[in-house]
Amino acid sequence: MMSYIALRDFSYAYTHPKKVLDNINISIEKGSFSVILGPSAAGKTTLCLAIAGAVPHYFGGSSAGDVFVAGMNTQGSTMQHLALTVGTVLQDYETQLVTMTVEEEVAFSLENMGINPNEVAISVKETLLKVGLTGYEKVLVTSLSGGQKQRLVLASVLATNPKILVLDEPTSALDPEGTESLYRLLGQLNKEQGITVLVVEHDIASVLPHAHQFILLENGKLLASNTPENVLTFMASNQVYMEAIPPLWQLKLALECDTNYQFEPWRREQDAIAELHHRLQEGANKNA
Amino acid sequence: MLELRKVHFAYKNQSHVIHDVSLTVTPGEFLAIVGRNGSGKTTLTRLIMSLIKPLRGDILFQGNIIPHCTPAKMAHHIGYVFQNPDRQIFHDTVTAEASYGPKQLGYTPEQTATFVNDALAVTGLSELANAYPLTLSKNQKQRLTIASALAMQPKMLILDEPTSGQDARQRDQLLQLLIKLNKQGTTILLVTHDMDLLSACAHRAIVMAKGHKVFDGTVAELFQDVLQLNNWGLTEPAALKISRQLAAVDVKPTTSISELSHHVATLFRRG
Repeated sequence: MMSYIALRDFSYAYTHPKKVLDNINISIEKGSFSVILGPSAAGKTTLCLAIAGAVPHYFGGSSAGDVFVAGMNTQGSTMQHLALTVGTVLQDYETQLVTMTVEEEVAFSLENMGINPNEVAISVKETLLKVGLTGYEKVLVTSLSGGQKQRLVLASVLATNPKILVLDEPTSALDPEGTESLYRLLGQLNKEQGITVLVVEHDIASVLPHAHQFILLENGKLLASNTPENVLTFMASNQVYMEAIPPLWQLKLALECDTNYQFEPWRREQDAIAELHHRLQEGANKNA
Repeated sequence: MLELRKVHFAYKNQSHVIHDVSLTVTPGEFLAIVGRNGSGKTTLTRLIMSLIKPLRGDILFQGNIIPHCTPAKMAHHIGYVFQNPDRQIFHDTVTAEASYGPKQLGYTPEQTATFVNDALAVTGLSELANAYPLTLSKNQKQRLTIASALAMQPKMLILDEPTSGQDARQRDQLLQLLIKLNKQGTTILLVTHDMDLLSACAHRAIVMAKGHKVFDGTVAELFQDVLQLNNWGLTEPAALKISRQLAAVDVKPTTSISELSHHVATLFRRG
């Protein structure tokens, strides 16, 4: 299958010669849910900006290699053209908010695309419902909490029906409930509407139930790009960015080390509870 | 040390966001305030710092009523670290930034230099003393705002969601720093969503819900009633959730993954 997003020998420096991304090769399939991981200054945000075309079109700098998005080479395209396919939620989400009220914010990009007012009104209503901001239509954007602003930016992006969603730390201002609900929504959009999701997230536990692919970067280099199970195992066995391994997998890896058992690749706490309960019960029954 | 007595507050043209909140903080405590987005956590800390004034009720710090104080006077006693470090950094070097507070408080240049050097050392920023703050990473900026607060020799430190947007390594470093400061005698009030962080460092927790204080007790007490915890929009740490649901197969409840792993491994060996 041809990759929907592909980076081929891609390197980038905001200021030459300091490379922020160094010879990156990544393939992301259409309809997948991928997560970019890595410590600060790994190049995660730059990777998102490269897929959105802001690198190099907005930031300049120097680059080598290619970035392909839905068949387009981003170098030969424009940010405006790429934005029809790629919806981006920036890490500094407040810089994306430009209007006075919530409904104006969602309508803004649609109006710029020349969509008629009736369709804009319907789309505003639908997307605010999706992100849980129904009832906030007339509320001033400045009076929203950080979490509400993050959801509003997502609504504004979703309203344009992107094929690819790129989100840079979209839950940094959300409470645990808000985080779970946002990833449930992204998981739904991915499964039901086939939207390709690419997200930067520090909290691996929150994306583990939804992800198909983990991309691990450090100091601008690609360390691993594979299934979540394989990348977590890689992190543990190579002692790379161990602090980020979620508690669920810390438990699995510690138990495998201590007991010689191999456990399933747990995605949710319920997976661990079910398997451990079954095995411990089995052991107790044998002894009885 | 700090006492709130039936404090009410509302922003202009809005319904009350803080209702009848009373609480006390004793010296040397490590207290966490948790709750959903919009539950009033940040507003409560802004009231304590005298950045906003209560509509009713009293806030006392060491017996003095805070609403009569200016934010500058409160800064003599309490260091405040905003959620977004960019909102409180305005000097052109790390040293100048951390020196601003002690200078404003009237410390001599020698005292200021000593306090700043100590604060940069404890936050691991000594090597960046001459760096331009806006070129720092978010974690370094966050540590700079903590250093700036510490340089003022506060008795208490208030931090509003300091781990938001930090990677796992930085979060662990910050956690160790806060534990160290608390052991050295600094009273800490931490606003957080991170329940693993809370269970790793706080002695006591306050839960805010729709502007009300709905819980005030030890962290162990907070995790006793899971349904109530979920009603407040909070989650138990993963180790506690897993261990509780394995009680039927003799697993003891714990908030620590290493304890849980050790215990389950022992059960496997017995089996």
